Amino acid sequence: MMAKRPISYAVLRGKVVETDLIEFGGRGGDITFLAPDPHKIADQIPLASPRLMEDMYDLSIDQILDYLAELGTRLELRNNAYLQEALEYSYDTAPSTKPIMDGFYHDLPFMFDKERIRRMVDFNIGIDHLEGWVEQQLNGCTVGIRAYGSRQLHIVAGNGPVLGALTIIRGAVTRGDMIVKVPSNDPFTTGAIARTMVDMAPDHPVTRHLAVAYWRGGDEALESKLYQPHNIEKICAWGGFASVKHVTKYIQPGIELISLDPKRSASIVGPEALESEEAMVDVGRRIAADFATGNQVACSASRLVYVMCGTDDEAVEKLKQLGRKTYEAMLALPDVISTKPKRYDPDLKRQVDALRLSDDWYTVIGGQDNEGAVLVSHTSDRVEFWEYLADRTINIIPVDTLEEVLDVVDAYTQTVGIWPENLWDVVRHKGALHGGQRFVELGYGFNGAGLVGPQDGIEPMRRIVKWIVSEKPGPEKVPLWGDSAKDVKMLA
Amino acid sequence: MATTAPPRDNTVEREAERWMNDPYEHFGYHNTRIHSLPREEVEAVQLAAMNLRLEERRQQVQMLAKLADAQGIDRVGRLDDLAPLLLPHDIYKSYPTSLLAKQQFAKLNTWLTKLTRYSPEEVDVSECDSIDSWLTKLRDETPLDVGASSGSSGTCSFYPKSKRDYFLSMMGMRVQLAQKFGEDPKPGDIEDKIHAIIPLYKDGHASMGAFGKYSCEVFAKGDPAYWHYCFDFKLSQDLMWLAARLRAAAAKGDVSKVDVPPSLLARRGEWEAAQQAMPDQQLAFVNRMVKELAGERVFVMSTSNLLYAVAKRGLEEGISGVFAPDSVFMGGGGAKGVPLPDDLEEVVCKFFNTDRMISSYGMTEMNSFSVQCEHDRYHVLPWVTIFLLDLETGQPLPRSGKQNGRASFFDMTADSCWGGLVTGDVITVDWDHRCECGRSSLAIDKKINRVSEIQGGDDKITCAATPGAQAEAMDFLTGLGG
Repeated sequence: MMAKRPISYAVLRGKVVETDLIEFGGRGGDITFLAPDPHKIADQIPLASPRLMEDMYDLSIDQILDYLAELGTRLELRNNAYLQEALEYSYDTAPSTKPIMDGFYHDLPFMFDKERIRRMVDFNIGIDHLEGWVEQQLNGCTVGIRAYGSRQLHIVAGNGPVLGALTIIRGAVTRGDMIVKVPSNDPFTTGAIARTMVDMAPDHPVTRHLAVAYWRGGDEALESKLYQPHNIEKICAWGGFASVKHVTKYIQPGIELISLDPKRSASIVGPEALESEEAMVDVGRRIAADFATGNQVACSASRLVYVMCGTDDEAVEKLKQLGRKTYEAMLALPDVISTKPKRYDPDLKRQVDALRLSDDWYTVIGGQDNEGAVLVSHTSDRVEFWEYLADRTINIIPVDTLEEVLDVVDAYTQTVGIWPENLWDVVRHKGALHGGQRFVELGYGFNGAGLVGPQDGIEPMRRIVKWIVSEKPGPEKVPLWGDSAKDVKMLA
Repeated sequence: MATTAPPRDNTVEREAERWMNDPYEHFGYHNTRIHSLPREEVEAVQLAAMNLRLEERRQQVQMLAKLADAQGIDRVGRLDDLAPLLLPHDIYKSYPTSLLAKQQFAKLNTWLTKLTRYSPEEVDVSECDSIDSWLTKLRDETPLDVGASSGSSGTCSFYPKSKRDYFLSMMGMRVQLAQKFGEDPKPGDIEDKIHAIIPLYKDGHASMGAFGKYSCEVFAKGDPAYWHYCFDFKLSQDLMWLAARLRAAAAKGDVSKVDVPPSLLARRGEWEAAQQAMPDQQLAFVNRMVKELAGERVFVMSTSNLLYAVAKRGLEEGISGVFAPDSVFMGGGGAKGVPLPDDLEEVVCKFFNTDRMISSYGMTEMNSFSVQCEHDRYHVLPWVTIFLLDLETGQPLPRSGKQNGRASFFDMTADSCWGGLVTGDVITVDWDHRCECGRSSLAIDKKINRVSEIQGGDDKITCAATPGAQAEAMDFLTGLGG
């Protein structure tokens, strides 16, 4: 038993706040936690003036990377009491289970690897654009471009504890000023990282340009005060309509919304998957890795698998075999990657149980013990409750043509896993036109390059900076005064 | 030497059979008696009815047989024992959706047959080319009158209820609405023709179409002169389905991906035009009724907002108290996100000359409607067993104290289907509270939520799409959201 009640610390610009605690959460059986009364700290959350961004420019990108690397070494779980405490509390708030959370926390320091971050920055923005003016000659002028940090507010998703860390990295390397509003499903992790920063270097500009706090999303009194152009320039909001809707009413000239919409993911598999026992085993493992990793809480976790094997009886029989292989592969995944879900959605359980009665059209593999289930369709229809698929539940669907699959790829589709290679070019191209945003080889949805570049069809890192331009006339430029002024073409 | 067993006392079973067959007739259409039965007696009859129905229906309804076999349940000893045999409401839309888009009505019939004691699969539907023609054919050739509805996801659900089910449903309305609780029914309450005013359709397969027709039978006693509807045509289920699919496609960002037959898609303009013209026509209709039927006893079933609009304008013109004082007004919530005016009840009651506007709680998948009493509680008819299921575990909550859980019911009067249903609603029942209105029947609190509104917790943000998020986006797109 924990003697202390969980606290979501506010960490404001180098200062840890743990006074004036009030209670949050507790709805629908959730745990409650304490956090400083946001109204009492409201004035300390935003940066007082954009002028105060200047100190970030006393640092080179290398110094920022060194800072982050040093932070990484201090985020080793066994040596960090803040993280240990946050992890302990997070078991109750996180949607995934203890072994998976342990894995996330254990891997946290690796995110701060200097070279990994450097490559990410260079790939996204180009380090030269952050370090100075990149100039070139254009239309008779010397045009310079530089990426400046913005004053930004992040409304971060809480289904994985890495998102707060990612936000801090993205903000720091772009010399931004960050306000992070933590969510009720991960109210502890980001605060623990920020406290580590305060211990490490309380007066360092990166520490001073971070404010982490919890308030209830939609707290109008607070948000109407904070979400103003004199406080922030960009709002980066993750999550669904409900959380973004709170924000949209404050969008006005001077505040830009970067919205990372909720997404879901799917897999597209060729008929080769059913050709042999070995192929079924291999593809079953790939599917399992793409849907069951992290217990399917991420948007990139697959929920629907379309197999282009046709819909005749023989194909459906084989598809059931693939379903069983997939189920076995799911159970074989190591604990740090996937476990029996913490809580199997009772509504989903009800639907899966009802599906068992419709055995003319669906085969349900597993699911009796809330461990997850593979639902094999016998027709080209996904299950009626496909939007609810979660907690390691996947629907495998036979289809006759690629067109049928592409019809279900839409703007809500993030990752599409593809197998085998012969489908790659056509699925990637047509899938993108239909709305898909990320294409990976089946089995590598969680095991790729990382969140290094574009995400959900946009580039968040390029969006959180301000792109500033400078123009100087070259010698051949004709002025707007004098004899030749009337011949000047002013073109946009 | 064998002795003869004493004759079994089957009084309760005989009583149960009467409740199951035609409870209103059995109780002499006496609303006060119906809502004044002692709970122990009611529960004994309910238990007997469950066993009778289970034995009979598991031979007839294949889905029930499958569930009962899987659960290994043959008889129930307590009311709660029936909980595992209640069918989730989603089962009535568990067919593959492509069957509808490809118009494979024979296959849909095979599916439907598993949910009812009747045999829709024996009907030849090879000529049917629309949902309307399919459901009409079933209505013409079987005892069924399938209740259709389309949800926000764009899927149509089909509940294979019978004409008898609809009739019992309407009769329950008349008995509960036309009489004042605590008094004997006046002769006219049961026998007289009452003008039924339905500012909706003459007919249809969705409840807002079907109720028109059955209200003619029950309130107007079949006399067309007493039956008044706004739209002299049938509400098309195909167009309802088209509208739902269009909304779903719009929310997904591609309106070209509407998987309905092209012939139906071609009727899109027809639907949109009808929708646009509807509010004005309804207003004109009710205004006409107010003039034509002034002083008459009427039964009005409408959305609250429409009644309000008519009443408000009438009062402004100095008209009030238009119908006979024993008239009945039943309002409904209307579209989600459309707020009801604060002075709704006051304005409606004053204009229409009534004490109050009544609302009721019910659904297509149940015969028995629960009517709101003078203390704002929905009283459940004694032939309906309530189950409150724990939202987490799905297990029945205790039948005592104040409980809040997923609404589930067993309606023993179900003629066609099994009658055991798990809904998507969250309700509150105080099992030990005797309502101040005087009824002894169990009552549901006024506040009813959808399970989907309750779940999801507070301020949790996730990058994974959830149906709730999408439905809200959809409401927003269709202009209903706030």
